[in-house]
Amino acid sequence: MTLQTNGATGGKWHARYPELGTGPVPIEPYISLEYFEKEREHIFRKVWLNVGRVEQIPEPGDYFVKDLAVCRTSVIIVRGHDGQVHAFHNMCSHRGNPVVWNAKGTCKMFTCRYHSWTYGLDGTLRHIPDEKNFYGIKKDAHGLTPVAVDTWEGFIFINVDPRPKETLREYLGAAGESFEGYPFAEMATGCSTWEVDVNANWKVCKDAFQEVYHIFSLHNKSTGAAFASTSNPYLNVHELALFGPHARISVPANLDWKPTPVEALARRYGMLALQKQGSSSQGMPSGVNPTASPDWSFSGLIYFPNMCLFVADGGIIMHTMWPLSENRTHWEARTYFPKAKTLAHRFSQEYSRATFVDGVLVEDGGTFEKTQSMLASGAKKQVILGDEELLIRHHHKVTEQFFNA
Amino acid sequence: MSKRQLPEGFQDLEPYLEWSLATDRERSIKRQTSPMTKITAFYQAVVPRMDEILAYLEQYPLEQVPADAQRLFYLTLSLAKIAPAVEMYGEPVPEGLDTLRLENIDIYPTRS
Repeated sequence: MTLQTNGATGGKWHARYPELGTGPVPIEPYISLEYFEKEREHIFRKVWLNVGRVEQIPEPGDYFVKDLAVCRTSVIIVRGHDGQVHAFHNMCSHRGNPVVWNAKGTCKMFTCRYHSWTYGLDGTLRHIPDEKNFYGIKKDAHGLTPVAVDTWEGFIFINVDPRPKETLREYLGAAGESFEGYPFAEMATGCSTWEVDVNANWKVCKDAFQEVYHIFSLHNKSTGAAFASTSNPYLNVHELALFGPHARISVPANLDWKPTPVEALARRYGMLALQKQGSSSQGMPSGVNPTASPDWSFSGLIYFPNMCLFVADGGIIMHTMWPLSENRTHWEARTYFPKAKTLAHRFSQEYSRATFVDGVLVEDGGTFEKTQSMLASGAKKQVILGDEELLIRHHHKVTEQFFNA
Repeated sequence: MSKRQLPEGFQDLEPYLEWSLATDRERSIKRQTSPMTKITAFYQAVVPRMDEILAYLEQYPLEQVPADAQRLFYLTLSLAKIAPAVEMYGEPVPEGLDTLRLENIDIYPTRS
């Protein structure tokens, strides 16, 4: 293999995607309010965004509300009497009050707390108290305003664009297709989420999950050695692949790593969400361990703009970053897991969650605000990206394409 | 307070009942506010008994766990919580984001 200049030994991902270049990336997108407003208008108010899973609303009348500050709205997601998932702007037709105030629930009708205007699960306006007080109002013209909604593999996506340019499936494209058939429903019987508002740009958060170069260093006390090995000390990945706005990453495991005593116990009674060894991708779709590597740990769908979905043999880990401003983000870190069969299995899953919190929420999350404060210092104007950090470069390129569309 | 809290055969763990906590948040706070000496003592007392404990707990269907077994189960959840402190970090919590800032929600069914 020919070496790059400057003694660089890599360059293999760049060789595959030369159009992304190799230059530094400006810091401006991480600190600029003006840039954030462009992201809001050109991206978040235009594309399909994942807001949850179908298991959250199994029965007709089950609903949850998603506040989407970045889209300047709040959305009700409800299972209708027709069994389908519907979404509406959470706004009463009367004078604009949010119709639903609680985060989730079950109901037969939505009744606005303010003046008790009532809507069906299909969004139609059903009842106006003292209706004769209004001037020839046509109820069928004043239902809740619908939001485009669709599901993919049990994940619920909404799009606040009144006329989405693409269907969800078109937008997911080949990247999504390559994960179809993973046992999402079985693996997502339960879901725990950790949520926190961090003082950092949403891309500072996302970038942490678009590369695994940091694992040998930042996670050196925890999971670093479980992934990086003597033959692959900086955890070069099995695959980085780009699909339109989205990307895929596939991460090796260190097969020589010896689990700690309690990790060994936990593994005896169940698979861990991010099992580092003994993972099998047999029978999994093509996006999961796409290189069919024996030393495989997990694979990820890096969904543009704001979701990183990691699947493994034992479970699912997902990050969603909801921008609140140019330097604030609501970060949701979720683990999905299969139904526990015994208390010992529950112990095993709890260990998996504990190491997820330590390794990801605490260690990765610990960098966000620190990084943001220095990005905002103005000391430097750009950051440097290596070949293994291709997906960060790709994100910026895709953003440019959305801005120019 | 002489009443038995843990199942027959596990009374030797009763000095560690302060770790038998029902919620994730309580366990997080306990971990974060305990010195390493206490965390390590709990770890060393429970780990050698874990095979026995898990075998014992496996006899109960998930929905029919007696109170004493439930307390024993909560000890194992605390062990899951503090194991990384002992096995990886050598301090109660790793350097980074304060876990008490996190809001932990079980979005749908789930664990107890």
